[in-house]
Amino acid sequence: MLTPPSFLLEESLHPANHKTIFILDHTPEFGIQRESLIEFDFNKARAPGFIPLAPVAKSLWTCSVECAVEYCRIAWDLFPTGKLIRFVVSDWKSHVLNSWNSSQQTLTHLLNGLALIGVPPPPNSDPDPSKVYSINHGLQAAVSIMCESTDQQHEKRTSLNENTVPVVNRCRVICITSVTNRDKIVELENKMLSELIVGNKFAASSDLLIPVDLCEFIILNVGPTLLENIPRHKVANILESEMHSVKTNGGLANKLTSLILKHYNLASTTVTGIPMKEEQNASSSANYDVEIFHPAKAHETLFKGSSVDVDQIKSLKEGFEYYTVTLKWSTPRGLTASEMHNCTAMHRITPVDVNSRPSSCLINFLIGGRSVMLEVIRRGGLKSLSHLLASHSGQIYMHSLAIGRSPHEDPPSISEGTGGRVTDYRITDFGNFMMQNRLFPIKGSKVQSSTLKRTKTRLDRHTKFWPMTISSTVIFNYKQYMEPILNIMLQPELRESDVVQCKQCIFSLIGNEAKHEPLHIMNTGQRGKGVKTSREEQYKQLWAELEAFLRAHCVTDKHINVLNCLLEVRNRDASDTFDKVDVDLALKELDQLNAKVERASVIRATTDSPLSPDANFHSTHSKTVLELWVSKFCRQKPRPDFVGLSTAQLMPGGRLKAKLYPQFKERPAPPGKGGKASSRVPAIIGD
Amino acid sequence: MNTNVRKFSVEPYKPLQAAVTGLHGLLDHIGHSSRLEFVSLVTYSSQLEVLVAFTRELDVIKTELLNIKLSDKFNLIEALKGVEKLILMEWGSGIPCNVILVVQDNFVNMNSLCLPFSFPGNLFICSLGPEVLRNPLLPVTDENMVNFNIHLMQPEVPVSSHGVVQMFVKLGEKHYASWSGNLVCGNLNSKITLSPNPEPCFKVTDFEYNTYTVDNNLEICGFIELKHLGSPAAVSRHLVLPYTPPSPYHGKGHGSRHPSHSGEGDDESLDEGHTPSFCVLLHGALKVENMAALCQVGNDWYGVLFSWADSKKKSNLMLSFLEPGRDSIPWLGDMNALHIPLEAPADDEAFPVKPADKKSYSQNGVAWIRQAGIQSDIQKILRHARKIPEKTQQFYKELNRVRRAAICLGFLSLIEGLAAILDRECTLLPSSTHPACAIQLTHAAQALRDSASKDHKYSIAPMKMSF
Repeated sequence: MLTPPSFLLEESLHPANHKTIFILDHTPEFGIQRESLIEFDFNKARAPGFIPLAPVAKSLWTCSVECAVEYCRIAWDLFPTGKLIRFVVSDWKSHVLNSWNSSQQTLTHLLNGLALIGVPPPPNSDPDPSKVYSINHGLQAAVSIMCESTDQQHEKRTSLNENTVPVVNRCRVICITSVTNRDKIVELENKMLSELIVGNKFAASSDLLIPVDLCEFIILNVGPTLLENIPRHKVANILESEMHSVKTNGGLANKLTSLILKHYNLASTTVTGIPMKEEQNASSSANYDVEIFHPAKAHETLFKGSSVDVDQIKSLKEGFEYYTVTLKWSTPRGLTASEMHNCTAMHRITPVDVNSRPSSCLINFLIGGRSVMLEVIRRGGLKSLSHLLASHSGQIYMHSLAIGRSPHEDPPSISEGTGGRVTDYRITDFGNFMMQNRLFPIKGSKVQSSTLKRTKTRLDRHTKFWPMTISSTVIFNYKQYMEPILNIMLQPELRESDVVQCKQCIFSLIGNEAKHEPLHIMNTGQRGKGVKTSREEQYKQLWAELEAFLRAHCVTDKHINVLNCLLEVRNRDASDTFDKVDVDLALKELDQLNAKVERASVIRATTDSPLSPDANFHSTHSKTVLELWVSKFCRQKPRPDFVGLSTAQLMPGGRLKAKLYPQFKERPAPPGKGGKASSRVPAIIGD
Repeated sequence: MNTNVRKFSVEPYKPLQAAVTGLHGLLDHIGHSSRLEFVSLVTYSSQLEVLVAFTRELDVIKTELLNIKLSDKFNLIEALKGVEKLILMEWGSGIPCNVILVVQDNFVNMNSLCLPFSFPGNLFICSLGPEVLRNPLLPVTDENMVNFNIHLMQPEVPVSSHGVVQMFVKLGEKHYASWSGNLVCGNLNSKITLSPNPEPCFKVTDFEYNTYTVDNNLEICGFIELKHLGSPAAVSRHLVLPYTPPSPYHGKGHGSRHPSHSGEGDDESLDEGHTPSFCVLLHGALKVENMAALCQVGNDWYGVLFSWADSKKKSNLMLSFLEPGRDSIPWLGDMNALHIPLEAPADDEAFPVKPADKKSYSQNGVAWIRQAGIQSDIQKILRHARKIPEKTQQFYKELNRVRRAAICLGFLSLIEGLAAILDRECTLLPSSTHPACAIQLTHAAQALRDSASKDHKYSIAPMKMSF
């Protein structure tokens, strides 16, 4: 139904930014300190007699390393997985600083590797003629690591799922080097192409390696001679190349910033008007701007709808080749963490100038758990809140908020529909139920199956006997008499002590009834239907519902044990009082019980346990007194549990099903022991 | 949200009348199946004219349809541009809208249309002309198009009024059928409908693409406090309304009103109002407890149910469909790896799920591309230096941070420069300074020049003194 055209998918699937390789020139030339002097003498205004300090300068090596590291910083801040970057350093041979494995895709790992590589060797220091310093070593290494599968590529290539899209191995190589003329660029391209052809041939004959389908080769030429840029062009089917000439330091950094925005489809937002207190003067506050990068999609709500005047908020960033969108800080008021904003997308952000004071101020504000709304001025001057900045577990996200008209305006109230006029829902109880069924992450290893499969059984059980309104239940309204039985019975397994507690609860109820103590409704603030019922009626309803409740929860032996206890004491109780009651009264009571049972059957689940009252027994009036006597009182001693009950499975409708002679099928008894085995078969054990 | 913008340019009397009749039928159907639908009516001759702005009062549209006047000028491209602008202004780009274009014949080269629109939805080109149109292959230029479809609709040949009406009936039945399903939580459930209708969702990632479809059983997996949930991104939001079985509906006779407002209908709705509904119970409890219910809406696709109030303080149950996939809320971890523990963990222990990586902005790295970065790092060292011995630890910590970064970046001249600055600082210390200060500064400067300190794993330690 929704199948996009194939060329569209080709563009979105398998992007080149999955695998990026930096090739850094580590030849002696890059060790030379060039221009970019850094003034770091701040003491000019100090007392006389001091020695002025010479400014320091960065080498080309330092410039290229810090720009490449900054590129990684931005990419990894915004994309925690799937955007992999490797470093290759080239001098008289190649050095590969990290692997595709995610554990080595961190700044710390890279910086350690760079520290070990150190600065480029000084010129003419090593007269060994076998050591040829060249960037070409790096090209060769880059091709061989392009042919290494990443974990994701490997997973897809080896997937047995026939719907898996075949992997296209696109890669990007960013080579920071220095050349003197255009011929050298062509040389580099040809070298790269021949390495690719060799590498692909080798990869094709290997199971583990993956040939390169397309390599984007970006040459950043730093150095004294500024060559004319060469735009993207096709060198061969598998190689596209471009060249940018840049001045050192600032030039290189600016170029890489523009490139990363393009490579990962990012955009810039300048948060303006952030009020910050001055350290010296806490009473006044000044306004600052902070620029952040994020995936360009975060701006979609602004640009896709034409309600915002784009020209008004979008401006070319000074000294750079890209645009930034200015949004205003909106002081958060009355925002609670539990508010659900109408958020259409969320993306990670990273500050452009990570250590500047305004940036760290904003970051700390957000990491501290507060959030910031960003405001955009729409056409016609109306202000809208377009974004929300907030941190979740130490990572900062930009939430895009819907700014158009809502299709949900003027909705019908929930009270107008089905169930809307019912006023005695057990809201508080359902709140407790929700608290007891909160979701939490599973600690530890990788999981199979889905969350629902894991929680379904529990939710099924907890809702098995769950009257929705106060007027349709008794036991849940008399919680102070019923606990802990209502809670304990929900547990999947009962301890002996739990059973004892439940039994005690039943006994104490029996005691209350015998003492003619009326039941008091607990004051929970819930609105109950104030139906006045007699004390006897109260107890009758209570016992009937409790029995239904217990029957619904007969999942183990011990659960059944509690039910049996109830049935037992109720019967004995009846026999004790029998001699005071004449037969007419008994029959009348029976009728009432009968009516009661029919009413309760809506909410009760019955079982076919041997002890359950015979359903026919209640519905027929044609029994003799003797039959009544026999059926009601001639089983004072309940039989021991049917063994099958302990292994019984709960079926829909509350019925229990036990498999008889289970071991017959599973384990055919050895012929010699046949007789013995069959004697262990659970059967009805009578008295 | 399905929104209709109708476009008219119908010449002779017969197609126009047929179209009006057909659209009346369609409006009746919409009013019946999707009560919360907004519809607008526009025409185009020399410019786009909005006859009825977006409204739920479908009768207004019906009346206005009867007043449509014909004109001989028409420009389809301009008309569609105008329609797109109108919708973007009103609804933005995130809400699905249907555009039903009613034209008389095929006088436009479809390939020249500026399609698709930059909002999700459908374009129905209803051509009432006598010729059969070739199925046009429309140009696609935007990745957004994956959720935008173009349908060409024509009445059966030979074209008749009846055929036109039937065509609109088909359109209504296919694209304006109201969705109904079950909201399930264990043994509790409610028959519900969602407004607007849920749509399948198409998602492309770096390695795969998938179409996710909505199950008819929306099953609750468990509950989460809103404060842990944050405000996750949703591909769409829907009002959850208790399902009311359709009252008898007569598709024909577009002038007739729904027959339900008589005595018997009221009795029925009264009865329904008094039958407890799980939906209402759930909504009440979610609202009171500030919680949300996580529910599975499809394979590897989750949604969040919560209580939502519009500005008029009317409260409703809302279902947000999250981004399809298991990682739609990173701070909850893998959505398929949640469970209900027997004992709930301490409040702050479980959420948020800590990510494996630390972001640069909480790592205390250096940023020296801009000069100001180096300068502020050095100033910080000097600030601490002047407050030795109180700030000895901080001084060495900052010193080692800068030194280590300089080694990693191959910026060795900075280390020498730093040594020089510390030496000079020594000579400038006022006489009131603690004697430890000069000693530590000299020690640090020496250590910086020492070749052992070129090892990034080495840390310069304060000189031990017994003052």
